[in-house]
Amino acid sequence: MKILAHIVWAAVAVLGAYCLGGIALNHGEPINSIWLVVAAACTYAVGFRFYAKFIAARVMALNDKRATPAERLRDGLDFEPTNKWILFGHHFAAIAGPGPLVGPVLAAQFGYLPGTLWIIIGAVLGGAVQDFVILFASMRRDGKSLGQIAREEVGTVGGFTALVTVLLIMIILLAVIALVVVNALKGSPWGTFTIAATMPIALWMGIYLRWIRPGKVLECSLMGVVLVIASIFGGQWVSESATWAPWFTFGAIGLSIAVIVYGYFASALPVWLFLAPRDYLCTFIKLGVVLALGVGILFVRPELQLPAFTRFTDGTGPIFAGKIFPFCFITIACGAVSGFHALISSGTTPKMIARESHAYPVGYGAMLMESFVAIMAMIAACMLQPGVYFAVNSPAGVVGATPAAAVATISNWGFPVTTADMATLAKNVGEQTLFYRTGGAPSLALGMAAIFARSGGGASVLGFWYHFAIMFEALFILTIIAAGTRVGRFMLVDLTAQFSTAAARKMTGLVGVNVVSVVVCAAWGYFLIQGVRDPLGGINSLWPLFGISNQLLASVALCVATTILLKMHGPKFMWITCGPLVWLLAATFTAGWQKIFASEPALGFLAHANQLERAMRTNPSGNTATLIFNDRLDAVVTGIFLILVATILVDSLRAWIGILRGTRDARICEAPFVSSELQPEEV
Amino acid sequence: MTTLRRVAEAVMALLRELSDENAYQRHLAAHGRAHSPEEWRHFSEHHLQAKYTRAKCC
Repeated sequence: MKILAHIVWAAVAVLGAYCLGGIALNHGEPINSIWLVVAAACTYAVGFRFYAKFIAARVMALNDKRATPAERLRDGLDFEPTNKWILFGHHFAAIAGPGPLVGPVLAAQFGYLPGTLWIIIGAVLGGAVQDFVILFASMRRDGKSLGQIAREEVGTVGGFTALVTVLLIMIILLAVIALVVVNALKGSPWGTFTIAATMPIALWMGIYLRWIRPGKVLECSLMGVVLVIASIFGGQWVSESATWAPWFTFGAIGLSIAVIVYGYFASALPVWLFLAPRDYLCTFIKLGVVLALGVGILFVRPELQLPAFTRFTDGTGPIFAGKIFPFCFITIACGAVSGFHALISSGTTPKMIARESHAYPVGYGAMLMESFVAIMAMIAACMLQPGVYFAVNSPAGVVGATPAAAVATISNWGFPVTTADMATLAKNVGEQTLFYRTGGAPSLALGMAAIFARSGGGASVLGFWYHFAIMFEALFILTIIAAGTRVGRFMLVDLTAQFSTAAARKMTGLVGVNVVSVVVCAAWGYFLIQGVRDPLGGINSLWPLFGISNQLLASVALCVATTILLKMHGPKFMWITCGPLVWLLAATFTAGWQKIFASEPALGFLAHANQLERAMRTNPSGNTATLIFNDRLDAVVTGIFLILVATILVDSLRAWIGILRGTRDARICEAPFVSSELQPEEV
Repeated sequence: MTTLRRVAEAVMALLRELSDENAYQRHLAAHGRAHSPEEWRHFSEHHLQAKYTRAKCC
């Protein structure tokens, strides 16, 4: 039996290596997406079976005889032993945001290969390891948060810095995902109506759950899903109505203001009325769409039209500037390595683990699942004709302000596309135009729509599926904006409490809540408007900022994880977290440095500001002064991120050297061992 | 057939967990209370307030 297992695993490893080799070496003809699926699945399987098991058994020594916080601190609310597969789904639903969908679509400008390899290898050796180790660390510390663990294991500087870093990341994250929605919905009455309709639907769900059928969340969510799908058909009718279409047709600035106002109300309204029902709706649709996309890809097995590498590996990409290293590795954060996951792994999940061994499939396995979502997004983007992909994603400031100029520029790059092609495609999906829709959401929606339409229905249902995909992405993002604005409010209160408890208390009153909500909305709203006005499309400046900040948070998590491994085993197993940490620090610090100081105006914030300043001398305009200020602000924000993480790194290095020299206490701050008394039927 | 039923039960359990229906049942059991509209409102206010102070992933 053991020999058979060895043979099977050897076959899986050989098949994975063969498929990885196949996608890496095939540079000529279009390649079938099934190669990516099999390469990813086999690599994940080998990583899960051997690498993660090694970490679980040898490094963490997971012990099912040890009671977890869910058992010891069981309160029927937060702390509750939960079936591992239910917890796996719960954890996956919590970590899967829009990041793994949008990042790979943007990184496809380099071709399918760099992003795909980073998603697969990054997840197996970096992202899943980070999630797993932090989940383990939190589980052994009564479910404490990353900040608390950092304070206890590394030092107080690390803990405070982590809090500031997370707040800043949250602001950039909300701005950039709002920009994705704005670019997807501008000039689209169909999409805008559908998304607008989800708001009264969520309010109705809140009222239904509160007064009509309290507690019947599944029943209510099912009705919500039916209403949302009905709103997609309603959106089609609106877009074809000469009377109603103008009411739902907005430009980018108008939509941005609407999203900012939405963020304020959604975060300030009672949670049960709007945010919670919307979140239920979003969670179920998200899981359903991910499942359907996976089945659709296996059924359709589309060919990838984008090449393995494009000419933009030289750093001159139209969507964002910069070479593969470091920009591919910060553009794809979620899906490969995401610092944000460390917050989830040290949040709800560790409080629900019934047995220590469950941390293995939940912590490591759920990240592999998210990585697979990123692979699906990469496939959806790369199955588009390259000319179409670049026409949809490139900003007017790069390819030209008219469709004719845009197709001429893109065709000159070697990716032929015509205005007629784009007009036909736009007509097929019920849009007036698909040019200049930077942000990734529309091109992902085009790919998803093509997969779903080819699974059944053909071109006649392309419009429905396109707007279904847009609705899915926007619903998802707007729910995160509402929740994120609210969380930002609490973080600001926490941060204030570090200096003045009285001031923090004032911020929790009725007036205080509203003022703080306005401050948080204004902060991310400023960056959103900046992105909308950016002639280079906004994504060029904001997505790298988000990627850098998210990967820097991952660096913080890996610093904490390394400290814990060092305290547990000495330097023996440090390489497990130090390897990904060194890679992330190299990528993020290089990217941060280039974004601030690179001499190319498309890449460096300061070089772009200087270029605008020179232009303003010959042609003064008020808008240019704002753009210059924004570039300098972005440079400062990037610099702050780098300084914050350098602070945590130095603090960690001091701790590591102290531990290795024996001058610092190497005791770990785990909760004491208590024998588990959980019965098998309780797990 | 048994496997299919077990998969269906697991999916329903996951959906109930994601919809907080399981959390509500645990709340009722922990406090020895029966379901009522007031109890749900009391639970949802406290549970959801806590749930949405935590960061959601990107």
